[in-house]
Amino acid sequence: MTSLLLLAIGFSAGLLGALMGLGGGIIVVPALTQLFGVPFRAAVAASLVTIVASSSASSAAYVGRDQVDLRVAVVLELATVAGALFGSAVAGLLPVLALKLLFAALAFYVAATLWLRRHAASDSMQVGSYEVRRWGTGLGVAGLAGAVSGLLGVGGGAFKVPAMTLAMGLPFKVAAATSNFAIGVTAAVSAYLYYGRGDLDPLLAAPVVIGVFVGARAGTRALAKLPAKRLQGTFAILLLFIGVRMVWDALGGGR
Amino acid sequence: MNRVVSLTLWIGTVAGVAFCAAAALADAFGHPWAARLAKLGVLALFATPPTRLAVLTVEFLAHGRRRLALASGTVLVVLLATAVRAAW
Repeated sequence: MTSLLLLAIGFSAGLLGALMGLGGGIIVVPALTQLFGVPFRAAVAASLVTIVASSSASSAAYVGRDQVDLRVAVVLELATVAGALFGSAVAGLLPVLALKLLFAALAFYVAATLWLRRHAASDSMQVGSYEVRRWGTGLGVAGLAGAVSGLLGVGGGAFKVPAMTLAMGLPFKVAAATSNFAIGVTAAVSAYLYYGRGDLDPLLAAPVVIGVFVGARAGTRALAKLPAKRLQGTFAILLLFIGVRMVWDALGGGR
Repeated sequence: MNRVVSLTLWIGTVAGVAFCAAAALADAFGHPWAARLAKLGVLALFATPPTRLAVLTVEFLAHGRRRLALASGTVLVVLLATAVRAAW
């Protein structure tokens, strides 16, 4: 029964990753801590492994079908890594409470914009069917996402997908696939550190990884069939949820 | 380029998932190898992002896209440095 539940958690995270370009940490971490009483750090470590698995499984399919913009992915990856290094260097100097509230405000704004513009979302899945614009905005957002992700535990796909869609002109499905490709590297950086500190229990992660693989496979197939406006609308709702959770966290609700 | 990167990702993912599946099965039967198999699965997954970055860097170089190769190579170096730091 426990293994089946872990498989189901992994399946949901894999599906979410493949369809939305999000890591799936918003599912795995609360599920492991609240349903199984797993310590927070161990849950985050397991979640990071599942993000690497989800990213690799989905990207293998998306890259093969030429649905990942490799040029955008690599440049944004570089900005994210630079942001993460900057974030870790100034970690002690930044007011985390203010950052959380700022993150939430930004999440609400982006969610509202995505929701309002969902009817204009293109169903295209082909790389090169658009012209990439506003590289500066994309790089800035990716750098910011990298800087805050280490501090707040979120931020990878949550802001990169909207930045690629709203600012850089990528169709939503290409942005989701490209984000999915990139988040594997970001998650791996943190995962290595958690593993090195001994926070990761591989036996806990194993069934979740299997579920992630199945979920990611289902998600890559479903992405082609689902309309982009529905995906973008769902993403907006998820982002709203992440923002609310961040406010709740900032106000001490998680304690 | 896409085919090689995709193949790299498939190999890493399938290896990782196969070890994890074997670990889950071994754990269900109370086999002492379960933890080792799970560890191998996690390590196979951990090796996938740097391997695909290395492949991507080589492919960008082969296609004459030096700036992208430099970007990809830089990310690879940071990733490997983090892995080494974690191992210590």
